Amino acid sequence: MLPLSLNTLGIYVSVPFCRSKCTYCNFASGVHSPALYQQYADRLCGEIAGLRRRAAEWGVEVPERVDSLYLGGGTPSLLPPHLLLQLGRALRGEFDVLKTAEITLECAPGQLPDQTLEAMLEIGVNRMSFGVQSFVDREAAATGRLHTRAIAVSDLRRVRRAGVRRVNVDLIAGLPYQTAASWQESLNTLMETEADHASVYMLEIDEDSRLGREMLAGGARYHAAAAPNEEQTADFYVSAVAQLERMGLRQYEISNFARVGSESRHNSKYWRRQPYLGFGVDAHSFLQRVAAGALRLTSAPSLDEYLAGAEGARELAELTPEEELEEAWFLGLRLRQGVRWSWLAERYGGGPAEASSGLAGPWRGRAPALQPFLPVVVELRRLGLLACQGDVVRLTQRGILLSNEVFARFLGVAAGAAAGVA
Amino acid sequence: MDSKHIRNFAIIAHIDHGKSTLSDRLLELTGSVTLREMHDQVLDDMDLERERGITIKAHAVRMNYHADDGEVYQLNLIDTPGHVDFSYEVSRALASCEGALLVVDASQGVEAQTLANAYLAINHGLDMVPVINKIDLPSADVLRTQEMIESTVGIDATDALPVSAKTGLGVEAVLEAVVKRLPPPTGNPEAPLQALIFDSWFDSYRGVIVLVRVMHGRLRKGMKIRLMSNGHVFDVDSLGVLTPKPVEIAELSAGEVGFFSATIKNVGDTKIGDTVTEDSRPAPAALPGFEDIKPMVFAGMYTVDSHEHTLLRDALEKLRLNDSSFFFEPESSVALGFGFRCGFLGLLHMEIIQERLEREFSLDLITTAPGVRYRITLTDGSVVEVDNPSRWPDVSGIEKIEEPVITATILTNEEYVGGILKLVEEKRGRQKNFEYATPTRVMLTYELPLNEIVLDFYDRLKTVSRGYASLDYQLAGSWESPMVKLDILVSGEPVDALSIIVHRDFAYERGRALVSKMRELIPRQMFEVAIQAAIGAKIVARETVSALRKNVLAKCYGGDISRKRKLLEKQKEGKKRMKRIGKVDIPQEAFLALLKLGDDPAK
Repeated sequence: MLPLSLNTLGIYVSVPFCRSKCTYCNFASGVHSPALYQQYADRLCGEIAGLRRRAAEWGVEVPERVDSLYLGGGTPSLLPPHLLLQLGRALRGEFDVLKTAEITLECAPGQLPDQTLEAMLEIGVNRMSFGVQSFVDREAAATGRLHTRAIAVSDLRRVRRAGVRRVNVDLIAGLPYQTAASWQESLNTLMETEADHASVYMLEIDEDSRLGREMLAGGARYHAAAAPNEEQTADFYVSAVAQLERMGLRQYEISNFARVGSESRHNSKYWRRQPYLGFGVDAHSFLQRVAAGALRLTSAPSLDEYLAGAEGARELAELTPEEELEEAWFLGLRLRQGVRWSWLAERYGGGPAEASSGLAGPWRGRAPALQPFLPVVVELRRLGLLACQGDVVRLTQRGILLSNEVFARFLGVAAGAAAGVA
Repeated sequence: MDSKHIRNFAIIAHIDHGKSTLSDRLLELTGSVTLREMHDQVLDDMDLERERGITIKAHAVRMNYHADDGEVYQLNLIDTPGHVDFSYEVSRALASCEGALLVVDASQGVEAQTLANAYLAINHGLDMVPVINKIDLPSADVLRTQEMIESTVGIDATDALPVSAKTGLGVEAVLEAVVKRLPPPTGNPEAPLQALIFDSWFDSYRGVIVLVRVMHGRLRKGMKIRLMSNGHVFDVDSLGVLTPKPVEIAELSAGEVGFFSATIKNVGDTKIGDTVTEDSRPAPAALPGFEDIKPMVFAGMYTVDSHEHTLLRDALEKLRLNDSSFFFEPESSVALGFGFRCGFLGLLHMEIIQERLEREFSLDLITTAPGVRYRITLTDGSVVEVDNPSRWPDVSGIEKIEEPVITATILTNEEYVGGILKLVEEKRGRQKNFEYATPTRVMLTYELPLNEIVLDFYDRLKTVSRGYASLDYQLAGSWESPMVKLDILVSGEPVDALSIIVHRDFAYERGRALVSKMRELIPRQMFEVAIQAAIGAKIVARETVSALRKNVLAKCYGGDISRKRKLLEKQKEGKKRMKRIGKVDIPQEAFLALLKLGDDPAK
């Protein structure tokens, strides 16, 4: 049997449909004909029903009990009520969804009909995540969002009235036309909505989105020329961290903020390496195995391929013990609580070390696999990117802003050491 | 063959004036190759030659031509390298010929490179047939081109042949002219053997292949030969000609051109310009004009990953098998570790070697800024030659410094003269001559320090003339100059591999420009990085690369950890391609920042 903490499951259902494609979007979602919705839902239900058979093929034990369900996208609220109900039935038919489970649905402001809201409540949704990105109309419009501040605020009020007490709002720092003042306006509005959770991202500038490509190319389409620079974006983020904290939304992960007790259970599973299953387009699963390496699975990356292909995962990667340990570092450090040497030692330590290991702390003599990470941590602490307090290692504020630099240093450390031994 | 029926000739032309196309047509007309073979065999061999459109190695092709007089002639076309870096090779190839075709683009006119090689040919006593190419172009001006050939090269161009190598128009006449207007070789087949080496390369099956022109005597299979410069003796085990396919023959006699192999292992033994003679019946003297070619441009070469140092050594040794004109010796740098000091014929030669190392041997290289070799007289009267800034003697011990100087010939259109004059003045040039070659074409002759040429001179010249200037140069002694060593400090630490030698009067400006270029090239790090230029203990310029502010992957889309890992690995990989000096990651191109100063439009 797996340890109890790993014996509950998170489930992610990907719904890749949107009414319009936002310029900053680098996800596998897009605008598709509603005629495909039924076909997609059928496909999902088939995948859910066939899961246990495939899991046996992969050699994994899938936990029975589900304590988190997440319908993400895309815009899952675009699914008509009967399809939401169909999905709910399929999931509950296959898994033991706990009464206390966190069930989240992502939604775009202005795209939530009353019937959909009702169907949602019927399948047990108790948490909603709104992709607002900006409460400033000009900024929202410039990136292709279809809502205004008024619509967003009214939808947030509406779902709360309908009984959904846990609400998340996504904001992006670094959108075209954003200024310190307009950013402040978004933050203030966020506070007024009394959301208990916020995700604040800094705009990702990469080749995978239209806006990102334009910015990299130095062009002006998609209002790219009006985007704030890296310094300003970092300033926006830093000011958000401070203000949200003051207003009771405490940072618990690089991009996530919540009232105490309102942290998203689902997202935490990613960082804590707890098992989750993903269904649908470009969905990802992580499953533990007894006495073998954990598995990461990825499904078809586009809707066409998903609908055309055979059911199940396309890519299946078995993690080596070294990769598991490196992941534990770069995922665990994303959390404000940081990483505990003792905890890593217990889970990934690799058996008793020699007495002369020279390592300090309560995990002395128990974790040869951790040894190669000590110089990495020491160097990053010297650079002011990591803070160490007793057993705990965590990112400093500067370390958060430079977290990729930090994480990259943890890659290849365990693997390199293992190769050196061999 | 009776030497009256032999013609040995070269084609002299500027890049893009149609040398390759004309050679292809001649081969086609003489039936030497089919069209299909043409692409694979006839064009320049190396990928690099093809891409850059420059012939780097000499070639020789034998054609049989049935002339209008009813006789069959043996025509040997000797191809010459097309870049000033290889002017010695050109001179040896020309020494193997009795005549040359002077090919000039009918709309572009005579360029500096053509002029230099034409003069070289005249000095070697070659007869020349002017060929005016590309007459099919609307901008062609045959008369003006004729006049320009007469006024610049100084040969009679009344009988110049108008052709279009592209369409084939007039090409037959070229072959007739080679037979009728160029002289046959003279040479005594019964005299002791004298054969001129004009190229050689390493073949992994047969050892070194040597291209020769037999001046006197006969070269036979099985003959014991002697190389006159070093006295080494070898047995000829095969002999042949390129048609362009290699065809074995039993004998090459006076006047003929061909190749031989003789179990020679080291291409360095077969120096271009050397004389091959028979060991048992040696010629009384070697052929004139032999020079031991010396590298003119020097740079350090290092691998980014210092563990690959031995791979670099192996690669350099392999390349040297085929190119004895570059030189290397181990050196070490505090910043870059173990590497090699390399000497090249010129900047193009350096780029070619560098590119071949990266391409053919998959090495990630750091090349330091190219420089020249200085002759320094010390206060104790002794003299040292220094080509590596890190070996620069202490200022207090220097009596005088001499730097190599070249004579440059620049041909350009009148309207660009102003810009070019400004450039050559800035590059410390001294005017030798200024004349109008035609009413609109100007020929400038300048003396310039070689050190200024190896930096960004070509690119700058191209920019100021919008490509309408051509340059040729030759070594012309040395000047005494007050040179100083300029050091670059990164985060307060001097980086030896970044030091350069500059003229004292330009040191401040160069230092400022260099440091500001480095600031652009060094990516932001996790801390502020100071870049300084210093002469001795004196800081002359400073720039700061501000600390990196953010590098965050915010989202975790549906728990896609593999993508995150890949992105992190990509970033890490990018860092690996940089050289870490102290705590600072410096990209490869920063070591060549000096070459990029001219890119800056503000300058």
